[in-house]
Amino acid sequence: MSDNGSRGGQDNAAIAFERVDKGFNGRKVLDKVSFSVARGEALCILGRSGTGKSVTLKLMIGLLKADGGRVLVEGEDMATLDEDRLAKIRRKMGFLFQSAALFDSFSLNQNLALPLHRLDRTKSRDEIKHAVAETLRQVGLEKDGEKMPVELSGGMQKRAGLARALVLKPEILLVDEPSSGLDRITAGEIDDLLMKVKTEWHTTMVIVTHDIHGARKIGDKFAVLDEGRLLAFGTPEELDDKQDNRLRQFISER
Amino acid sequence: MLKSAFESIGRVTSFGAKALRDAWLPPFEGEYLLKEFYEIGVGSFLLVVAAGFALGVVMTLHTRSTLVQFGATAEIPVFQSLAFFNEIGPLVTGLLVAGRVGAGNGAQLANMRATEQIDAIEAFSVSSFKLLVVTRVIACTIMLPLLTIFMDVAGILGGFISEHVASHLSWTLYLQRAFDGVALANFVPPTLKTAVFGYLIATISCFYGYTTNEGSDGVRKAATNSVVISSLVIILADVILVKCIFFLFPDQAI
Repeated sequence: MSDNGSRGGQDNAAIAFERVDKGFNGRKVLDKVSFSVARGEALCILGRSGTGKSVTLKLMIGLLKADGGRVLVEGEDMATLDEDRLAKIRRKMGFLFQSAALFDSFSLNQNLALPLHRLDRTKSRDEIKHAVAETLRQVGLEKDGEKMPVELSGGMQKRAGLARALVLKPEILLVDEPSSGLDRITAGEIDDLLMKVKTEWHTTMVIVTHDIHGARKIGDKFAVLDEGRLLAFGTPEELDDKQDNRLRQFISER
Repeated sequence: MLKSAFESIGRVTSFGAKALRDAWLPPFEGEYLLKEFYEIGVGSFLLVVAAGFALGVVMTLHTRSTLVQFGATAEIPVFQSLAFFNEIGPLVTGLLVAGRVGAGNGAQLANMRATEQIDAIEAFSVSSFKLLVVTRVIACTIMLPLLTIFMDVAGILGGFISEHVASHLSWTLYLQRAFDGVALANFVPPTLKTAVFGYLIATISCFYGYTTNEGSDGVRKAATNSVVISSLVIILADVILVKCIFFLFPDQAI
């Protein structure tokens, strides 16, 4: 069951997992998981807490290394990349962390400028300033650039985290629990921002979420993880047609 | 228990050696290094000067009550300067910085780990070790001797004021007596040994903060361990360093 991810069109895949294993302290978190995400596609990863959803994202950006199998991003095996090639791949990726992970000793402007300074050497200081202001405007925080993260509400922090993930105009956006800790309205605003990014920039997205309502709005495909294995993979309609009570627990809106 | 203690010592040593090696490799993170110089140096200045001044006053009060019985109150200034240059200045500065900077480093880095800020730095292909650990180790190593000089000056000033109130001794005569018989070897090696204290404080506190992964409990443990272990280690290191100074400058060991 864990090997039932989409194999078709892997050549066009932005991201591909090939029989990936990952464990911590002797406990297997991912067990021979395979799937792929086509360019421009939005994949929502669903499942209970502790089933390796966030680990999946960290494997994609190379923060963790797989114990077995291969994680391919833009056709490159993340485990074999040297620092320079890893930086080139990461230049194409944005990551919105669950807690937003804003650097709390930096202002919002500085938070957004850091990835530009480090990963985009072509931009002058003025261009970086302009890119930061423009990205903050897109998430509705144009007046908050000088604020410190602690001065922002939970929803604003998420939007700021999203702005930082978007400031490099990534081809691939990884999003960890965009609605966690937010009320329904604020979570809806974040979902709308993600939809905007998807439709306007055609960004490939991988979104880990518990919010099936938001997932149905954004996701082209769902991957359902259960106890480290891929329980199901496909479009929401395909999964709705499956007569599997366990799967229904994850994808039912009620 | 013993095995675990040796393992910890090995891990801290290897962590400190990596910091020492990486300090010579680019990028040098100048902007963040300056921030740490300010945080450690300017942030600890008032604490060190106030403590030095108060200790100077108290030391003179105690010394006077003893020396007056032998009619040797003229020796108070030189006792004061030798005590501060050789031991009180370096050790008390080390302990104060271990408390203030050690706890701050441990808690801040552990919090950054818990809130995925360190992962976010790595996701931008920036070495979090160089940015967060190496800058702190360099800044603490360089700032400790400078803070020690301020502690010495404040201690001598406190001693003068105490003595002036008791015997109306003039500032010129106090200084003349304080430095009479004080060689450069009484001042330079003990002050420079605090660079080792600074290196140890930063290495130990950064180790506990950077390597923890236990959420808010990890923050508490990292802050506590940083202060307790670094205070203990600098006292033990002091014994070895004093022996080394006596070996290199035998005149001091009389």
